[in-house]
Amino acid sequence: MTTPAAAPKRAAARGRKGHGKFVAACLLPALALFALFMIWPTINVFRMSFYQWSGFSPEARFVGLDNFTKLLDDDQFIRAFQNTVALLVVVTVVTMGMGLFLAAVMTREKLRGRNLYRFVLYIPNVLSVVVIAAIFSAIYDQQNGLLNGTLRLLSADGLQQVWLGNQKIVLWSVAIAMVWQSLGYYMVLYMSSMSSIPEELYEASSLDGATGSRQFFTITLPLIWQNLRTSLTFFIMSAVNLSFVLVRAMTGGGPDGSSEVLLSYMYKQAYTNSSYGYGMAIGVVIFAFSFLVSLLVSRATKREPLQF
Amino acid sequence: MVRRTFVMAGAVVAALGLLAGCGGGAGNDDAGDGGTLKVAALEGGYGREMYTQVIEAYKAKHPGLDVQLQISKSIEDEISPNMKAGKFPDVVVLGQGRKAALTETLIKDKALEDLSGVRDGLKDKLTDGIVGNLNTDPYGDGKTYLMPMYYAPTGLFYNKGLFEQNGWKTPATWDEMFALGDAAKAKGISLFTYPTAGYLDSYFFALLADIGGEQFYTDVMTYKQDVWKSPQARQALDLTTKLLGYAAPTTVGYANEQDFTKNQQSILDNKTLFMPNGTWIVGEMKDAPRAKGFQWALTPLPAATSGGKRYLTTSVESVWIPSGAKDKEAAKDFIAFLYSDEATKIFAQSSAIQPVKGLASTLTGENAEFYRLYEDPNVAALVGGFASTAPVEGVDIKATLFDTANSIISKDKTEDQWQSALNDASEKLRQAGK
Repeated sequence: MTTPAAAPKRAAARGRKGHGKFVAACLLPALALFALFMIWPTINVFRMSFYQWSGFSPEARFVGLDNFTKLLDDDQFIRAFQNTVALLVVVTVVTMGMGLFLAAVMTREKLRGRNLYRFVLYIPNVLSVVVIAAIFSAIYDQQNGLLNGTLRLLSADGLQQVWLGNQKIVLWSVAIAMVWQSLGYYMVLYMSSMSSIPEELYEASSLDGATGSRQFFTITLPLIWQNLRTSLTFFIMSAVNLSFVLVRAMTGGGPDGSSEVLLSYMYKQAYTNSSYGYGMAIGVVIFAFSFLVSLLVSRATKREPLQF
Repeated sequence: MVRRTFVMAGAVVAALGLLAGCGGGAGNDDAGDGGTLKVAALEGGYGREMYTQVIEAYKAKHPGLDVQLQISKSIEDEISPNMKAGKFPDVVVLGQGRKAALTETLIKDKALEDLSGVRDGLKDKLTDGIVGNLNTDPYGDGKTYLMPMYYAPTGLFYNKGLFEQNGWKTPATWDEMFALGDAAKAKGISLFTYPTAGYLDSYFFALLADIGGEQFYTDVMTYKQDVWKSPQARQALDLTTKLLGYAAPTTVGYANEQDFTKNQQSILDNKTLFMPNGTWIVGEMKDAPRAKGFQWALTPLPAATSGGKRYLTTSVESVWIPSGAKDKEAAKDFIAFLYSDEATKIFAQSSAIQPVKGLASTLTGENAEFYRLYEDPNVAALVGGFASTAPVEGVDIKATLFDTANSIISKDKTEDQWQSALNDASEKLRQAGK
């Protein structure tokens, strides 16, 4: 009785082995490309951060940790770092908070025209950053911009600002553009996970007299917590990149370096100040920083997974 | 030439350029008798047509030679990936002062071919004073590495019509300048603006030479010790700080890549009197609406002392050969051809004026007015910029000198902070240049 049963098992094992070779052969090109275009350049970033190199010259001079010690004395680097951290904290908190709130309202309350709202909120995510920069240039225009125009209309002339020219405000102007760009994406993400929560849970809790906000904090939030964690990590990574492209397009880091972020400063050093090695050292700092922040966030938000 | 306009578009073009670079690799073989000459050029405000025509003319003289032209508004992004891989173009037409600073980087690396031979061959043709400065001889050793290709005056641009309507004269001294500022203020017009702070190069270099003479200018450009602590430097910063006090209130808010044309527009709208800029402004703003009777005009900065010499910062595009080029002799022959009567004429038709004797007098229209400024015996061309040194991490003296103007206007920094930051940057560069 055992033989006929064992035979197909062996065949299956043989089959899997055959598959294994085939799978490896299929994966190899992708792995090779991944190693060539992702792993090797990343290693190179680390390697080049120990060199002084202009980017073109045949010889690169090994300087050890010099690039990193110079970073500590570089006021502009420190300002760029502060700006990056400020943007990360504020934009993350605002985007996540608003995204969750809007998603909860859209899924729980049967709003009229919510499909339209979802569409409108999602659109910025599809736009290219150059378009977003142009839109916000029109919104922030100090003379006939949408924002100052509205303030004038409301007779709140005193609140008018030079949104991209005031060094104390410019970073927050960039932050608003970042929130506007990414809000819709995270809202849709949370909406999809919220809509998978069984309706019975809400029904039962409302019979017990739970209010909407109580339901949000005791049912919705714990049940989508795993999604929230993942998206938070994503968001921190992408916010570092998004801040660079938006700053490049909107302010160029100005006025006078007041809206510089880490990546834009790295770009300036590596490509326009001919200090490629120094730029790569900044790149290493960014790498370590985003890695660390993601790790901390991941640790801090760790909870026992709940299931329904 | 619209130097700074296309930086954003550059990112897009760079991606396309990479693809083009990959596709173009196949044609690099030295086929045929004449071989291949690869020419890379920046597509500036003068357009690309003139290069095609000049190359046609050159080919007609050298049958069998294949001249490949690569031209783009962000040529650095297209040629530098190949250069990093060791594939160099033979001839590059690209000046200094660009954001990507490719020319500056190669100068710092001493990776350019010595063109002194070409220069000597053209000795009788070139206008006086156009070679033998830091722009052409970056190491100051009498050897020319960059040939001056086109030159254009930069200075303060204004609306001649507005001055005529109000009976104003262009100020010859700084006292007159500030008096004019007060008179204009009474009419609700600001004295000064700049497109972005980077455009202050046309202002600052001339100002330094006006105040301290050419020797002082060279001292600043070569980071002489404590040069920024000198009374001349202080005078330059004093005047500038006072001038920035007269700046149009919208200046800083628009001084970025996205909005800088709005600062330029304020001249066309008669809201501001002067801005530092180059002759490309005429073409760049040709479709913009303007006040009635508007007419572009250019003036040098007011003289530091009454009757003193006034300098026009002159932007010079360069042509050079990278040391890594394959066929340097053919490249040199091609460069010499660029100064032939035939080529000069083609370039001049696109308003690209080469520093060739007798050419300026043949110009017409606004260009004639701009280039006529050089005929004033009290006005001289000022060429060059900060000397190249080994790269110093985190130090960009141009940014310190120009961008701080934004902070001076918004009162986020004081003149003293500006001066000491300049002194620090200059000192670090001096040590790197030793």
